[in-house]
Order: sequence, then structure tokens, then C-alpha cells
Amino acid sequence: MLIDWFTVAAQIVNFLVLVALLKRFLYGRIITAMDQREERIASRLREAEKKKEEAEREAETYRRTNRELDEKREEMLFQVKEEVELKRKELMKRAHGEVDQIQARWHEAIQREKDAFLQDLRQRTGKQVYTIARRALTDLANAHLEQRMVEAFVERIAKLDEKKKKAILASMQRGDHGVVINSAFEIPTNAQEKIAKVVRNHIGDAIDIRYQISPDMILGIELKTHGHKIAWSIDDYLDSLEESVSQALSGEMEDSSIGRGADEKVQLKHPRKPKQKRGKR
Amino acid sequence: MDVVGLKEISSDVVVIWRWGFISLNATILYTWIVMALLILLSWLVTRRLSSGPRLSRWQNLLEVLVVGMRNQIREVSQQEPDRYLPFIGTLFLFIVISNLLTIIPGYVPPTGSLSTTAALAICVFVAVPVFGIADQGLGAYLKRYIKPTVFMLPFHVMGELSRTLALAVRLFGNMMSGSKIAAILLAIVPLFFPILMSVLGLLTGLIQAYIFAILAMVYIASATRAHEGEERVTKAEGPEDAEQSEKREEKGDR
Repeated sequence: MLIDWFTVAAQIVNFLVLVALLKRFLYGRIITAMDQREERIASRLREAEKKKEEAEREAETYRRTNRELDEKREEMLFQVKEEVELKRKELMKRAHGEVDQIQARWHEAIQREKDAFLQDLRQRTGKQVYTIARRALTDLANAHLEQRMVEAFVERIAKLDEKKKKAILASMQRGDHGVVINSAFEIPTNAQEKIAKVVRNHIGDAIDIRYQISPDMILGIELKTHGHKIAWSIDDYLDSLEESVSQALSGEMEDSSIGRGADEKVQLKHPRKPKQKRGKR
Repeated sequence: MDVVGLKEISSDVVVIWRWGFISLNATILYTWIVMALLILLSWLVTRRLSSGPRLSRWQNLLEVLVVGMRNQIREVSQQEPDRYLPFIGTLFLFIVISNLLTIIPGYVPPTGSLSTTAALAICVFVAVPVFGIADQGLGAYLKRYIKPTVFMLPFHVMGELSRTLALAVRLFGNMMSGSKIAAILLAIVPLFFPILMSVLGLLTGLIQAYIFAILAMVYIASATRAHEGEERVTKAEGPEDAEQSEKREEKGDR
């Protein structure tokens, strides 16, 4: 007999046991593992896709931000440039202003110096001229300068026109009916008489004459009433001298100031330099 | 060396231990060995399974096996394979291991015993109606037997029985003859030729395991798809014929 029925039964049981065990230990586990792997791969792919999208979004955001930053920077640069330009203009303006001020001060100082110098010159010239004139008159004409001066003064009174005379008289009547003779020197008695005589002859009889010495005058004689005066003075000559000297000085100053102005414009960055120059002068 | 004598056809007769009706023979013993091997291997490998991209070689091997069997089942049944995988897969694995171990001297394949192959065939014989009824219900399943007419009923029944018998005898015949031929040749030509026969035996064993499992699947599939029943039957006949002709060829070779 080829078939042993007990063995058949035993083999059926064995086979069913094997099916159960392999199902438990092999198929179930392997299939679960494979499914899990598949699921994991799929989820990873999904995740990767998601991350890629996210990254693209991020990149887009980044690009946009970059662009915005660039634009902002451009704008700020532009603003700064404008501000700098404005500031530069303002500074230039201020510098110009300062230069102008300095120039004005300098002009003023020059003017003051000139005035002082002219004053000084006038006095000196007056004195010098007086000395020279007196010496010259004394030496050449052998005449006393003061006497010549009195003569010139007397002559001037004598040559007074009617209108002037009347005005002097009118002013005397309003005042104290007297005249004052101012002079830089002591008038000798004979000269005083001469003056009194010519005054009384030409202006009026009842005139009270007083004599004064005024040290301010350099050289000369003047007749002073209330509001009028007749004078011969070296001051007149000195005035014309002063005027011509002043004109000469002004011309020189004009020239130098033009030169200085050019200098200052060139040397805007060193506004102190002109001062040094001025100091030299 | 020889566990089963040359004159003895079945390993059932080699009784190791007996207690009344119960007898522990070589067939059962070797079956247990094969079972133990299979279960131990599965347990060892599936103990530490990785679901990540890196996996051990053994896990890879088992996955290849399982995926291959699933694909075969899907191809044959045109259905989801997971329902049939434990039954069909175990049939295949058990027969394959039983057959391939013949390379080891002293091993007697349990599939060389008609009792084992009959047991497996009976399992298939029972599994066909079980899957069929579970799939389409008792009535629909039984109606298959009277299609297209009620006169076909005896032929259907005979077909069921005969194919079960064919399953059992085919496997038994191949495996038993293979081991017998190897033993006989060893006695006649001791060198080289038995090795060739052993190689041929391994090939035959693999083919038989495949045929057994595929036929079982075909029978079950034909039962679970009543509306395609006719088609299925003709399709099922195809491989059987091819296999039978192959068997004839093999026998002719011998």
C-alpha cells in the first residue's frame, strides 16, 4: 500500500500548521514591511515635494525682498545725494557770506586806517607847510608870515560882497553885537588895530572885537559871528591837499581791493589768509 | 546511508517510532525538518525587518520571493493576491524546499511519498470549494456543476476528483522516480553521471513545485470566478497538458 492514511492525516495537519506559521512569520511581516516602506517613500516624496514648493516660495520671497532692498537703497542713495548737494550749496553760500563779511571788515579796517592816516597826514602836512611857508616867507619875502596872513585876512574882509556883509550884520544884531577873531598865534597890536579898522570900515562901526587864540587851528585867522565866519586859513589849502591825497589813496585802494577780491575767491578754503595779508600791510 | 531501501518505494515504511495507530515515520520526520527550516529562516529574518531603504540580504531574498509569488498569483487569478498567498505560497515553498534538499546525501524528500502528495492534493481539493463558496456563496458555487446542463454534473465531479489525483500522483511520481534513478545510477556508474542526474533532479523538483502551486491557483481561481468558469477550465487544461507532455519527455529521456 503506497498510501499510509495516518501519514496523510499527519501531513495535512503539518501543512496547515506550516501555512499558519508562515502566514504569521513570513507573509504578514514581509508584506507589512514592504507596505510601510512604500508608504514611507511616498510620504518622503510628498514631503520633498512640499519642501520644494516651500523652498520655491522662500526663494521667491527672498528675491522680492532683495529687489525691494535694492530699490530702497537706490532711493536712499538718491536722497543722500540730494541732501549732500543741498548741504554743499548751503556751505558754499555760508562760505561766500563769510568771505563777504571778511571783505567788508577788511574794507572797513582799511577805511579806518585810511582815515587815521589822512588825519595824521593832514596835521603833519599842515604843520610842515606852515613851517615851510613861514620859513619861505621869512627867508624869501623877508616878511613876517603872520603879518602876511593878517594882510590876507584883511584883504578878504575888504573884498566881501554886499550880500555877505548884510548877512553878517544881521547875525550880529541877533547876537551880542560882537565878533570873535580866532587865530592860531598871538596877533600883534598893530595888526589888531588894522583888523579892527577894516572890520569897522567894511562891516559896521559899533562892533565889539575880541581876540582868541585857538590851538586847534594850524595856521590862519578867522572872524566868527553868531552863525557866520570869514576866514583865511591854511586849512583851506590843506583841505584841497587832503582831498587830492584822499583821491590818490582811494584809487590805490580800489586797485588793491580788486586784486584782493580775486585772491579771496581763489582761496575760499583758507579764509584766514587775507587777514595775514592785511596784517602785513 | 540509504534511509529508504531501493526496493521500498515510499519512505512511509521506514518507521522510527510507533505507538499503536500512531507511527512516526521518515516522511513525517523529514517534513518536520523542512518545516522547522522554513519557520526558523522566516522567524530569523523577519525578527528584524527594516521598512527603510536599507535592508538585509535575507530580507531582500524573502521580499523577492514574496513579491514574485504575489505577481504570479495576480497574473493567474486576475485578483488581489493577498487572499491566496498564504496557501499557494506555502505549497510552493514547502515543495521547493522538500525537493531542493535532495542535494544533501541521506535526505529523503517527503514529496517522494504518495501520502504527502495526497495530503497536499486533498488540501487543494478542499481549498477549491472553500475559496469558491467564500467568494460567491454556496448556491452560486454549486450551480457551476450543472452548467451548461445538468448532465455535465458527473463530468464535473469526475474532473474534480481526477485532477486532484493527478496532482498527487504527478508530484509523487516525479520526486520518487528522481531519487530512485539517482540511487540506481549511483550503483551502475558511480562517477559524474549521478551528478548530472542530481542537477536534472533539482530542475525537475523546482518545476514540479511551480506546477503544483500554479495548478492549485488555477483550480481555485476557476472556482472563484464562476462567470468565467468555462474559460478558466480551458485555460487550466492548457498548462496541465503542457506539463504532461513535459513529463512524458522527461520519462522518454530516462
